[in-house]
Amino acid sequence: MTQNRDSIKANNNKLYSSRRTFIKTAALTGVAALVTGVPLASYVIAPSLNKGTGKWIDFGPVEDLNPGSMEMLSYEFMVKDGWLVLPQRGFVWAKTEAGGNLRIFSSTCTHLACNVIWREEEEVFVCPCHSGRFNGDGRNIAGPPTRPLTVLQHKVEEGNLMVFLTV
Amino acid sequence: MMETQNRSKTLLEWLALDTLVAWVRDLEVSSHGLSWSRFCGSLSLVLVVLLFISGAFMAFYYSPAPGAAYDSVDYAQFNIPFGDVVRGVHYYAWNLLLVVVGLHLLRAFFVGGYKPPREMVWISGVLVMLILPAFIITGDLLPWDQKGYWSTQVRNSIMSSVPVLGDFLVRMLQGGPRTGIVALTRFYVLHTIILPGLLLLFIAVHVHFLWYRGISGPLAGEEGDQQKKVPFVPNIVNRWLFLFLVVTVVLGLVSWYWPAPLGDPADPTDATYVPNPEWWVLSLNQLVAIFKGPLTVIATAIIPGGLVALIMALPFIDRSPERHPARRKKTILIGAVIGSILLALALMGYIEHHLTPLE
Repeated sequence: MTQNRDSIKANNNKLYSSRRTFIKTAALTGVAALVTGVPLASYVIAPSLNKGTGKWIDFGPVEDLNPGSMEMLSYEFMVKDGWLVLPQRGFVWAKTEAGGNLRIFSSTCTHLACNVIWREEEEVFVCPCHSGRFNGDGRNIAGPPTRPLTVLQHKVEEGNLMVFLTV
Repeated sequence: MMETQNRSKTLLEWLALDTLVAWVRDLEVSSHGLSWSRFCGSLSLVLVVLLFISGAFMAFYYSPAPGAAYDSVDYAQFNIPFGDVVRGVHYYAWNLLLVVVGLHLLRAFFVGGYKPPREMVWISGVLVMLILPAFIITGDLLPWDQKGYWSTQVRNSIMSSVPVLGDFLVRMLQGGPRTGIVALTRFYVLHTIILPGLLLLFIAVHVHFLWYRGISGPLAGEEGDQQKKVPFVPNIVNRWLFLFLVVTVVLGLVSWYWPAPLGDPADPTDATYVPNPEWWVLSLNQLVAIFKGPLTVIATAIIPGGLVALIMALPFIDRSPERHPARRKKTILIGAVIGSILLALALMGYIEHHLTPLE
């Protein structure tokens, strides 16, 4: 009897001690993971929290635009990308109505971000990627896009056209 | 004891490799492993080795910065002896790997390779397959040419259509909102360090299950002890080396005659560039064209995710121990229907993007 009880006790002791060992190792592992994990995760994630800001870009004299036209306006400005200052290039579409009323469309197709091109003969924007079409007001009229082209904020400052771009 | 004292140690003993070498020398595997109907696994292994070697050597001449990246790839391909071959082998090897891994999966599907006790062999194999697109997505941007840049834009907007997490995922992948130097560095590190590490891990897991569960054996024959064995060395190893030689020479010649494509340098202002979806992604791309607007999530997350879940769960859906395809008509039929739909979508995409010129 006593022998049996002793063996149970010994067994329990072994069990407890193995459980204690396990908890100890698990706790150490957890602390080690936390101590290395938190700084490393922050290290990797940090730049991802930057959503990008807007910037007014100068497109030159507004009188250079022809009334009743759709013109491609290219831009290039320097932007800091991580540790490097690089030129950011692209273009927008400027629609000048007969009365001089101006609308600036982003060239980014609302479907999958390809650049749309203006077809003068048909008076539509066509996206080369999936043949999405937008009319002269930027409204989606055919193909996959379900949203109109983004109209960009603009203003005229000292005769120069300024467009607000997200960079 | 006396023996080792009296004679001098062999080199293997000095290196403490004698037991390992003896074990490998005596290793025997099922002779069915040599059957030509199942060489897709060996071929995948050979292609992965080729990709690791060619990729590591390409890194000698690669500079991961926008602009410089293109020049460095261009320089390596056209100015360095065998530059076209090294990059070409890398290019053709991953294209071929996708085909071979696909066939590997199809074969396992047809002969019921996922049946007990090999459920985990199947699941770990699917894991290996799932990591391959990540290699292509990250690798495609590295040359910083038009195709890579614009394909990345399309992929980013597909990814960001995933609800809630999409935008953050893209910013996480790119290290910000831009496809610039931070993004390129991340793609480079993922492509050359993180993903290869994961791939090796998944392959090791796949081989681990294969080792303990054994290969599935011929459909008609008995499994287990009655099977004929062949020595791993030299029979299997020689087969691998033979495959390696043939594949290297063939891919080397192919890339010498038809150099791997390198387009014009990436130009974010170029409106006329049309990124044509590549052959392996045509069906998914076609889905994206079918489900638009608020339904995009069906094409980008629900259908592909469901398909992956279905393939993963196959061993638990088709539970009968029956392996012969003729006695698993329902499973084969469902597989064939899904396969045909994907093939039809790919065909539609091919006609739309590769045969129809832009009006």
